[in-house]
Amino acid sequence: MTRRIRVLSVMLPLALGLVQPRAAAAQSAREVMEESQKRGQAASQHYEGLLQVVDARGKISDKRWIFDRLGSHGRSRAVLTFMEPPEVRGVALLVVNHPDRASDQWMWTPAIQRERRIALQDRSTRFFGTDFSFEDLEERDTEQYDFRAIADEAIDGAACWKIEAKPRTGKSSQYTLSYVWVRKDNYAFQLVENYARGALARRLRYSRIENVQGIWAGRVLEMTDVRRNSRTVLTLDKLQYNLPMKEERFTLQALRRQ
Amino acid sequence: MMLLRLITWPYVRRHRLRTLLTTAGIVLGVAVFVGMRTANESVLLAFRQTIDRIAGKAELQVAAGEGGLPEDVLERVQAMPEVRAAVPVIEAAVGTNLASEGNVLVLAVDMTGDRSLRDYDLESGDEAVIDDPLVFLAQPDSLIVTREFAARNGLAIGSTVPMRTMEGEKRFTVRGIMKSGGLTQAFGGNLAVMDVYAAQMVFGRGRTFDRVDLALSEGVGLERGRLAIGARLGPGYQVEPPASRGRQIDSVLRVYSFTADMNSAFALFIGMFIIYNAFSIAVTERRREIGILRALGASRARIRALFLAESGIAGLAGSLAGLALGVLLSKGLALYISGLIAGVYGIAERTTEIATEPWLMAAGLLMGVATSLAAGWIPARNAARVDPIQALQKGRYQTLSAGENRVRRAAALALGGASLALLLFAKGWTVLFYAGYICAALALLLVSPTVSLWLTKALRPPLRRLRPVEGALAADSLIQAPRRTSATVTALMLSLSLVIAMGGVARAVYDSIMGWTRTTLNPDLFVTATQNLTERTFRFPESLGDQLEEVEGVEEIQRVRTHRIVYEGSPIMLVAVEAKSMGDRVRRPPVEGPGDMYERAARGEGVILSDNFARLRGLHAGGSIELDTPSGPRRVAVLGLVVDWTDQTGVVLIDRASYVRWWRDDTVNVFRVYVKNGARPQEVRQRIVERFAGAHRLFVLTNREVAAWIAGLTDQWMSLAYAQIAIAVFVAILGIVNTLTVSIIDRRRELGVLQAVGGTRGQVRRTVWMEALAIGTVGLALGLGVGAVTLNYVLEMSQRDVTGLALPYTFPWGTAALLVPLILASAFVAALWPAESAVRGSLVEALEYE
Repeated sequence: MTRRIRVLSVMLPLALGLVQPRAAAAQSAREVMEESQKRGQAASQHYEGLLQVVDARGKISDKRWIFDRLGSHGRSRAVLTFMEPPEVRGVALLVVNHPDRASDQWMWTPAIQRERRIALQDRSTRFFGTDFSFEDLEERDTEQYDFRAIADEAIDGAACWKIEAKPRTGKSSQYTLSYVWVRKDNYAFQLVENYARGALARRLRYSRIENVQGIWAGRVLEMTDVRRNSRTVLTLDKLQYNLPMKEERFTLQALRRQ
Repeated sequence: MMLLRLITWPYVRRHRLRTLLTTAGIVLGVAVFVGMRTANESVLLAFRQTIDRIAGKAELQVAAGEGGLPEDVLERVQAMPEVRAAVPVIEAAVGTNLASEGNVLVLAVDMTGDRSLRDYDLESGDEAVIDDPLVFLAQPDSLIVTREFAARNGLAIGSTVPMRTMEGEKRFTVRGIMKSGGLTQAFGGNLAVMDVYAAQMVFGRGRTFDRVDLALSEGVGLERGRLAIGARLGPGYQVEPPASRGRQIDSVLRVYSFTADMNSAFALFIGMFIIYNAFSIAVTERRREIGILRALGASRARIRALFLAESGIAGLAGSLAGLALGVLLSKGLALYISGLIAGVYGIAERTTEIATEPWLMAAGLLMGVATSLAAGWIPARNAARVDPIQALQKGRYQTLSAGENRVRRAAALALGGASLALLLFAKGWTVLFYAGYICAALALLLVSPTVSLWLTKALRPPLRRLRPVEGALAADSLIQAPRRTSATVTALMLSLSLVIAMGGVARAVYDSIMGWTRTTLNPDLFVTATQNLTERTFRFPESLGDQLEEVEGVEEIQRVRTHRIVYEGSPIMLVAVEAKSMGDRVRRPPVEGPGDMYERAARGEGVILSDNFARLRGLHAGGSIELDTPSGPRRVAVLGLVVDWTDQTGVVLIDRASYVRWWRDDTVNVFRVYVKNGARPQEVRQRIVERFAGAHRLFVLTNREVAAWIAGLTDQWMSLAYAQIAIAVFVAILGIVNTLTVSIIDRRRELGVLQAVGGTRGQVRRTVWMEALAIGTVGLALGLGVGAVTLNYVLEMSQRDVTGLALPYTFPWGTAALLVPLILASAFVAALWPAESAVRGSLVEALEYE
């Protein structure tokens, strides 16, 4: 049975594995990823995010959103609704993840009462001026990646597996290669580096990794756009799992009714 | 070179004013040609540059005429394997209330993905472009402007810009400033970027885009991609490189360019006669010098070369001055043409750069020099034939005019006969028709000296009756030198014939348009989203029609949607209207087709074509045409042909229901409002304005206002041609001055004798004046006659190959009546200086010849 890694918005597929023999090492990396996904699995997720974009000149702009996700295993639906600043209140993003293909994404703009589809071609663009791209909001299928264990390394004092993740042929991604550091003690992600055409494009660092309702998760995520020399810090407040949520909330009609 | 320095230069220095007048013909001819051409090219260049700069990295553009693309087309295109990126675009030229800014081109795009095709900032990071991308998308009043535009108007992030939208004037907030670069130079820098979904609302586009710009996947060639995407989308969609939009505007402007070219050619042709005349003068004046040169051993070839070199140099100097003047004129002309095409075609464009094409400059130079050389050829030949003995004998008056030429008359007769035969029996054959025109033109040119002589002879008795001495002397002077007179008369004839032809065309166009306005475009009121009927930036929702029908005093509403589509590669205008209602209201019989054609169109049985469109494509009632629609190709019956002036490119009238179904577009450009019997249109207009004020951007025009606007547009269309004609007439009048000058030189002895035997200075003056008036009269008579013939050919050419419009032949009596005093007065004014020069000449010197 195909097992997938579900990565919430700002997480990329990771893999872990040990080396030698070669086949066994790849399997071990996959096992790490599967274990990580298993430990992060929940029927739903809710948090209030504080997004701080720090540009190259050090200027900081704050935004707040509420994030809700229903489902898992690549069949999830998520709604991200901006709350602040007042000019963007009500702007929402609906993400419908699919197990076998890229997600569908729509943005809802209340001021003109219109939704717009975020085209697949646009997934590599920046997510509303942050350092995340739309693609970074997707869930990924482990079957779409090849994993290879690279080394054991300590990040911020925590022992980690460093795993290389390469999209398989046919997988559409702006990234040609990712390195993922997975903590050995709780299988949580510590660091992800994404490469495009051989050059480091984005770096995602997890901090304040805490156990919330039995799930280990980073509460502060810092995405750095290496080429632009800017970073975005996302702080997850009021993080909760397995809250009851209605499926009707995660539709375009629901967005229009907002 | 030595001869030029020793012989020519002193002559030029002695006759500075005349040299100036001679070259003025070339200067004006070249200036008109280069000015008009440069202006046209500049307008086209501005349009193409805007297209290129806005296109960015887009390799292809998908459109469905001006009807817009449903949103699902974007998704279909994005999903195609040949497509790397596809983005929606809406473009609109919008008026601002900012002082001296005029229109701003709003480029509406989806900023979430558009940067894959367009560079919004060439120098630094994105944050410099948009202050906050999320706020930009969240707020529909968001605008990005160019740095230059912001600087000119003192705008900064957070400033507001007033713009006229569907909901009246709204203030937009500057949320980004683009740095200088390719894109920001589009539309002369008056560019603003906004969100495409906000633009749908602001410009009344419903859920459509104007077009989709796309880049092809790696390894997909342009032609392969174009064909593949076109095949997947099916007919009704145009998949073309951005540059093809430039070609379409070329096609739209074809009629205009043709008229401008014709007038330029005429101006240059007239200039040629003036030069011919001026050089004839020079040869007359300098025959003594020529005689000396010949006596000293200069060969005939050398004399000929000297005069040809002179005409070449004059042509070169005149052409260079003409080029400079043309370029100077072109800026103003370009602005004028921009306004004109915006009014006539509804195409907005902003010309800031003058396109001084090297080939055009070279062509202008070449034309000027070649014209001058051609004009100087006969005088140079005559100069070479000067007999040195005769030239050196004092008092031997040599008449250069050799008198009538029988061969020429016979040739003129033959050519005239041929042209008549071709006109009567071979009119249907394009080649033969044009051959007939050339025959007629040559015949008229060849016969003009003879006719000119006849007319002058006919004028002698009345002139004598008027003033026995002066009248006879004036007439005899002209009769004795027919060649000298004929060049001026021919120049005058050509310019006046051009006036008559253009006047006739203008009269016919006026009559036809006004007739159409009265009988077909006859609603009491027009509710439009813009201040004129051609601009199609804004559209109304269909539902507004229902609300308009509820206004007290309104009897009926016709919902009209006009948009340009492409038919067999050329843009034409599609007019969708409730055909049944239109049929009930139209009071003009069709050009072709049954009386119930409107009812049949309303039943969806076919379309009605404008007669010009049908004529240019050989279509008739009972035939059929294939229209590419977004819902597939539709072969529809041609139910009938009507006169329709909605657009010069041709009109297809289609019932609105069919249009909405096939084009999936239910928006409206104009509501035609018929008021109830007894209701006053002005009152109904007031009610409409009061009811919708503030809620909708709308203008309510009365039928009279629309008629006046159309008449104004026609005037505007014609006024450039009139300006060119005025120049042509001016050049012809210069010719009269020159002719009279040479006439006085030729008749120094005669005038001297007249004074010696007691003739007064007043008599001499009157002789010269009468001579001028006689030239003017003969020129007028010939010009009106030749104009009558030219008008026939111009109308035929226009109908056959340019516009397809069947305009009735109406001789412009009003214009002709205006020309008589104008030309006679001009001739009189032109004679003042030569007359004074005649009376102030030395009597002794004049009599020395005896």
